[in-house]
Amino acid sequence: MSRDELTSLERVAMALQYKKPDRVPVAPLVCAASSRVLGIGIDEWSKDAELAVKSLLQAQEIIGMDAFVTLVDLSVEAGDWGQEVVYPRDSTAYTNTANPVIKEVEDYYHLEKINPRETPRMKHVIDMVRGLSAAKGQEVAIVGFVYGPLGVLSQLRGHERLFMDCLAHPDAVATAEEVITQVLVEYAQAQVEAGAHSICLDTLYSSGSIMSKALWEKLEGPFAKRVADAIRDTGAILTLHNCGNDIYFDVQEKWLHPVGISHAYPADDCQKDWAKHAAKWGKKIVTIGYSVPSNTGLLMSEDEIMEDCRQQIETFKDCDGGFILATGCEFPPNGSLISAMAMVKAAKTYGRYV
Amino acid sequence: MPSMDEYCVQLKQAVVDYNRDQAVAIAQTIVDQGLDAQKAVFDGLIAGMQVVGKYYEDQYYFVPEMLMCAQALYSALDILKPHMPQTDLGLKGQVVMGVVQGDVHDIGKNIVKLMFEVAGFEVKDLGRDVPLDDFVREQLSSDADMVCLSAMMTTTMTGMREVIRKIKEKNPKCRIMIGGAPVTEELASKWGADGYAPDANNALREAIAMVSSLHEMYQQAQARD
Repeated sequence: MSRDELTSLERVAMALQYKKPDRVPVAPLVCAASSRVLGIGIDEWSKDAELAVKSLLQAQEIIGMDAFVTLVDLSVEAGDWGQEVVYPRDSTAYTNTANPVIKEVEDYYHLEKINPRETPRMKHVIDMVRGLSAAKGQEVAIVGFVYGPLGVLSQLRGHERLFMDCLAHPDAVATAEEVITQVLVEYAQAQVEAGAHSICLDTLYSSGSIMSKALWEKLEGPFAKRVADAIRDTGAILTLHNCGNDIYFDVQEKWLHPVGISHAYPADDCQKDWAKHAAKWGKKIVTIGYSVPSNTGLLMSEDEIMEDCRQQIETFKDCDGGFILATGCEFPPNGSLISAMAMVKAAKTYGRYV
Repeated sequence: MPSMDEYCVQLKQAVVDYNRDQAVAIAQTIVDQGLDAQKAVFDGLIAGMQVVGKYYEDQYYFVPEMLMCAQALYSALDILKPHMPQTDLGLKGQVVMGVVQGDVHDIGKNIVKLMFEVAGFEVKDLGRDVPLDDFVREQLSSDADMVCLSAMMTTTMTGMREVIRKIKEKNPKCRIMIGGAPVTEELASKWGADGYAPDANNALREAIAMVSSLHEMYQQAQARD
C-alpha cells in the first residue's frame, strides 16, 4: 500500500468527474452504525444532531472512509408532516404506517407545505451537514440525503396503500407529490447551503422490484426531476440512491441526469451481471457500490471482504476512474465496524490507479 | 345464463384485470345460484392469480398491479369461502408467518400469505413486529409444517437466527423460509433456514410454484372422485 496523495474530498470529486484519482474512493455508508463509536443508542443518534456529528467524525477517524452520507432513516421527511415515528434504541427508526397521516384518498389533497429549515427532523439532517462541514468540509466529501417524493408519500400513506393508489387514484397521488416536491427542493437547497458537496436523492421505487417504468415516469419522474434540477442549480453534484433489484438506469438518466448512483444491483438491462453493467453504464454514470451490506457487515471475514472488494474494483477498472467502492445500501447499524475498515483497506490495497 | 365454466373465465379475467367490483359481482352470482364455489375458487381465482404470477414473472405486472389483483381476489374469496366444502388434498398445510420484532414492512409477507390462503393452507398470520418467541410458541402449539419469517432491516433480521435454532431444535422437520431485502442466501444457509426470498418477487415465485402444484393435486383429486 502506497500512501494516499489526495484528500478524500479531492478523491471523490475526481471519481465523480471520471478523472482517475490516486486510488478508488471508498464509502461504506456508515451512518447509524457510527452511533456505536460513541456508545449511544440509534434513537439518540437520530434525534441529536450534535451527537450524530460527533459520532460520524469519530467513525471517520477510525474507519477512514472518503465520504459522509447524512442518511438518518427513511422516516425523516414524513415525520415532519406529523407521521408517527417509532424510535427503537438499537434499530433504525421507522414510521408506524398502521396509523398513517394519509388515511383516506381525500387526505392526499390536504397535505400542506412545511418549512424543512424549521421542522425537527429535516432540520436535524441540515444541522448534521453543517456540523460535518465545519469540522471536515475541506477534507471529506459530504453527501446530503433526500428521500424522493414518492418515497416520502409512501411513509405518509403506507407502501401497500400508496402502490394501489398509484393505479386507482393517480391524480390524488400527484397532488400530494406536488406539495412534497416543493418542500424537498427547499430541503435539498438547505443542505447545500449548510455545506453538502453532493445531494443523494433516493429514488427507491424506480426499479423492477417495485413498479413499471411507465408508472415511475408518470408518478415520480417529473417530480424528482424538479428536485434534481434544483440540486444542480445550487452547484452541488446530484447522486441517486436506489437499492432495488433491476434498477432502472435508463429512465433515471432520462429524467434526472445523475452523476453517480449508489446501487446494490446491476441495471435492469444488464441481466443481473455486474460486468455487463460496468460495460454498459460504467462510463456514463458512476457506480457507487456494490458490497452486500448484510454479508459484509455481519457475515464475512476481513479476508473475504478484501477479496469481494478486489473483485468489484476489478469489475470497474476500465471506467476511467468512475467508481466508488461502497455498500449497496446503508452499512448495517449492527454490523462490525472492522468490516467497514476492511473495505477501506481493500480500496487502499487493490484500488491504486497507475 | 352463463355456464359455470363461463363464470370461471369471467372471474379469472376480473382478477387479472384487477377489477374488484366485477370479481365480487360474479362471486355473488355464483353463490346466489348455488353453483360450485370451490370450482370458482380454483378455476377462477387461482387460475387468474396464476396468470397474474406469469405477468409478474415477465415484468408485465409489478407490485402495484399485484396488490390490486390480490384485492380483487380477496374480495371474491370472502364471498365464496363460506360455501366451499373442505377438500382433503392429503396435506396438513399449516403455515405460521409474520414480520419479526422491530419491523413493520409487510408487503412481501402479505403477498405470500395470500397465495398460501388461496391454495387452501391454513395460515396463522402473526402480523408485524412479532416477538421472536411467539413464532416458536405458535409453531410448537400448532405443529405447523412451515414457518415464514420476514424482516427488512439488518437490525431486526438477526433475530431470525434464534427463532430458527429454537424451532429446529424441537421440530427438525418444520420447514423455515426467511425473506426480506437484507436476507442473503449465505445468511439463510448459515442460520439453517430451508429457503429464502430477498423480495416479494422471489417470494411470490416460490409461492406460485407451490400453488400450481396444489392445483394439479386438486385436479387429480377431482379426477379420482
